[in-house]
Amino acid sequence: MIRLENITKVYKTKRGRHTVLDDVSFEVPLGTSLGIMGRNGAGKSTLLRIIGGAEMPSSGTVTRGSRVSFPIGFSGAFHGSLTGEENCRFAARIYGQEMKRVVRETRDFADIGDYFYNPVGTYSTGMRARLAFGLSMSIDFDVYLVDEVTAVGDRRFKKKCSVALKKRAEFGSLIVISHSVGTLRQLCDKCAVLDQGKLTVYDTVDAANEVYAA
Amino acid sequence: MSLLRGLVVQSEVVHAVFMRETRTRFGQYRMGYLWAIADPAIVILTIAGFFALVNRAAPYGMDIYSFIATGIIPYKLFASSAQQVGESVNGNRALLFYPRVLPIDLALARGLFELATYAAVFIVLMGLHGLYFQQLVVDEALYVIAGLTLASLLGTATGLVFCAIGVMSRTADRARGPLLRPLFWISGIFFTVDALPAHVRPLAGLNPVIHCAELVRSGWFVSYEDTYVDTSYVCLWILGLSVLGLILERHVRRKIEVA
Repeated sequence: MIRLENITKVYKTKRGRHTVLDDVSFEVPLGTSLGIMGRNGAGKSTLLRIIGGAEMPSSGTVTRGSRVSFPIGFSGAFHGSLTGEENCRFAARIYGQEMKRVVRETRDFADIGDYFYNPVGTYSTGMRARLAFGLSMSIDFDVYLVDEVTAVGDRRFKKKCSVALKKRAEFGSLIVISHSVGTLRQLCDKCAVLDQGKLTVYDTVDAANEVYAA
Repeated sequence: MSLLRGLVVQSEVVHAVFMRETRTRFGQYRMGYLWAIADPAIVILTIAGFFALVNRAAPYGMDIYSFIATGIIPYKLFASSAQQVGESVNGNRALLFYPRVLPIDLALARGLFELATYAAVFIVLMGLHGLYFQQLVVDEALYVIAGLTLASLLGTATGLVFCAIGVMSRTADRARGPLLRPLFWISGIFFTVDALPAHVRPLAGLNPVIHCAELVRSGWFVSYEDTYVDTSYVCLWILGLSVLGLILERHVRRKIEVA
């Protein structure tokens, strides 16, 4: 379960204060999934980082009743001079998971061959994303935070990702950011639109899309 | 989350960052970790060699090599901890992407890393010296350990303050080097407090780092005593700096952005 109460996030910029999230509240019970739509720069990724706990809100509280993942689909946390394997070991260690299993499962899922044992700095963007996604699928979470992950990879890999995510959605929760209505329809029960810092939750993806597209 | 569970998670994270640090710092070079030891060893050998050449003897029948080493290792341990812990958040910001990793974990991991490195440096350098002269006498090993531990804590606490200031202002961050560098000359690397004129001793004692060097020397050399060491004074500094550092950390916590 994830509950957000009166979350506000304000950034100070050179041209004054900029409110990214304005009094956002919602709840995602375990076993249900929420999609989030919004324009570029609307604050979706910031919201995801706040849900995960990587960033602090300016005010308000986040309650996490379960194991929440890091934002999936972004690969900035890899160290370029370490190999894919070493980066996996690090993540396995911080989440107290069995290292051998995480390394094996990530390697099999990412399917990037011997590159797995080369420094991440030598990877292409697609390979990084494959590693990042494989890593997050091999660590046990209850809630997966997905940030536009379907935007990367070839068609086969995309298919593999959505199959893996659907499987996770059965028992846990997904909170998915996407511009693709199709993806959201596949993965989510409810859907929210983030606009001008305000978040509104709709009961179906189509209802949200009608408002968003208008 | 219960306190115990929290401690388990924190130790897992600190351990992971520590292990990663060993790979990222020295991993890409040949002989890797050896450089951690070689770096201060070169400084010590240079200074000790110079002193030996100009025939400057160390006081109280200490040999010049051990004299310099027992002074410079506590100092380097302190300064290096302050430096590395001070840069821990700005240098490892990407790791904060993982919600489990907190700024304080990055600081603690680096503090422990420096302690482990300089403890190894101490053992290797003094061990080699002992092997070469076929003689190794340690007066009070516990004093040596206490001196190094205090230097490590002092450096980590100082680094914590630097770290928070560094997040707040890049400009203030620049002041770190100029603040630390003079300590090289007044932290008892080249002298003992005993050798100073009586009226200067209390003044020299204001610098907490010098107490660490004195403590290590009094523990290492049979002929030198801990007359001028005040451990509670050092502990007071450590406590004060830690409290200040943690207060500042709470203040800047919301400002750290994971780009």
